[in-house]
Amino acid sequence: MHLSDPGSFRDPASHIVLDGERIIRLLDERGLRAWEALSQTSFFKTATNDGRLIDADPLDSAPAGASGALEHPRVPFISYPYEWTFSMLKDAALLQLDLLMEALAEGLTIKDATPYNIQFVSGRPVFIDIGSFESYSPGEPWIGYRQFTRQFLFPLLLRARLGIPFQPWLRGDPEGPTAADMRRLLGFWEHLKPSILLHVALQARMEQRMSGTAVRDELKTAGFSAELILSNARKLRRLVEGLQWSGSGDGWIEYESCRHVGRDREAKSEFLRRAISAHSPHRVMDLGANDGHFSTLAAESGAVAIAVDGDEPVLDALYRNGTPVSIVVSDLTNPSPSQGWAELERPGLTERAQPDLVIAYGLIHHLIYTASIPPPVVLDWLAGFRCPAVVEFVAPGDEMVAKLTANKTEAELHPGRSQGEFESELARRFETLDTRTLGDGTRVLYRVQPLTG
Amino acid sequence: MLFGYLDAGSGSLILQAILGGAAGILVAFKAWKARLAGKKALTDAESDVDDPAVPADS
Repeated sequence: MHLSDPGSFRDPASHIVLDGERIIRLLDERGLRAWEALSQTSFFKTATNDGRLIDADPLDSAPAGASGALEHPRVPFISYPYEWTFSMLKDAALLQLDLLMEALAEGLTIKDATPYNIQFVSGRPVFIDIGSFESYSPGEPWIGYRQFTRQFLFPLLLRARLGIPFQPWLRGDPEGPTAADMRRLLGFWEHLKPSILLHVALQARMEQRMSGTAVRDELKTAGFSAELILSNARKLRRLVEGLQWSGSGDGWIEYESCRHVGRDREAKSEFLRRAISAHSPHRVMDLGANDGHFSTLAAESGAVAIAVDGDEPVLDALYRNGTPVSIVVSDLTNPSPSQGWAELERPGLTERAQPDLVIAYGLIHHLIYTASIPPPVVLDWLAGFRCPAVVEFVAPGDEMVAKLTANKTEAELHPGRSQGEFESELARRFETLDTRTLGDGTRVLYRVQPLTG
Repeated sequence: MLFGYLDAGSGSLILQAILGGAAGILVAFKAWKARLAGKKALTDAESDVDDPAVPADS
């Protein structure tokens, strides 16, 4: 029984269906021809061997209605560009361009250029849409150029040149900023740079002037060739490679220097190890992961570890260090929702994560004191994951709580913040399996399991 | 090649030739000229149709 993947339907030549745990790609006649051409290239073998391109095994028989079928390995965790850090999107852009150039060298092209075709597996970008490759027809331009600029180049420029995070834009509009948007955003001096002048200003102007006119035949007759695409891709690669964002001055990059972090880290690690040993989780979701220390511990146990945090600079540093952890930039008070076509195309964060252990270290006091979420509502949310959790409680007397409440009066805070009240609310939703008091007694760890029934 | 499900954008397609370097600029210029010529031919044809012909009964 095949179930269509609700995120794979745009390409008529090739789409994904789910057969239980198996990931099957169904091909029509055109898709099958494209696959046959791809599978004979040397770059396909190289790129699948070095992990840049997902493996694809042809099935002996295709289901009714399909001309061919391939099986792919399952990607452990799907993330979207609006959940990536700057360096992740940049590496994905470089992979897209590298594969395009390698494909063109062997008579193929990539018919689109979207980061949704790339996923991160063990901390490295992998191109997953085998169906995007097809034979290059001489004289044809690169169809994905505009899409590349809108979904890769312009978001990177937003961050590198303007310091604006691209995630909210891509979450609001997955097609990305247009050239006209970028022209309005980038200042006069930026427009003096040749790359901005061409990819932004000139593209915006030409798009406006030529909207809806057919130009493919004219380009072919005028002598357009793969060499021109290669030349453009090489220059784009240099441009993308040169884009830098240090992330300094933003977020909580000096997290490790906080006094309680160093003091409690080993005790919290030991508590987590005990939880991992007790529950043997396959998927661990680290809520408020910060520098990813605890997610990394979970990954080292063999679990798929998903580190969620709203702090892009620390997650970007984690990514650049070559972590095997799956990274998600997301504000936990407003996590990625289900969206796209019929609100099914891109499922929300929790639906994708499906954890069997949750880490909530150093988190809930930020939800209670900064985001003003009542303690029982925070616990309802944790119980909603329907799996064991390790939770850190921070009492009102803690120095961090004092910082968070420095400008708040008692009347502005929700009741029920004491340890006794917290434990009482905890007992209504969870069974406590393990507990440990840290440092000076203002922080307490709990390992809990939701009550059944 | 069949064009996919993607709207490539006419202006962006022509721009690609320019981005390809010196040889591409010539290609873009030729394509631009061909497009203008095509547009002119279309306009001429349309004005032939639209021009009120000399009434047959005059």
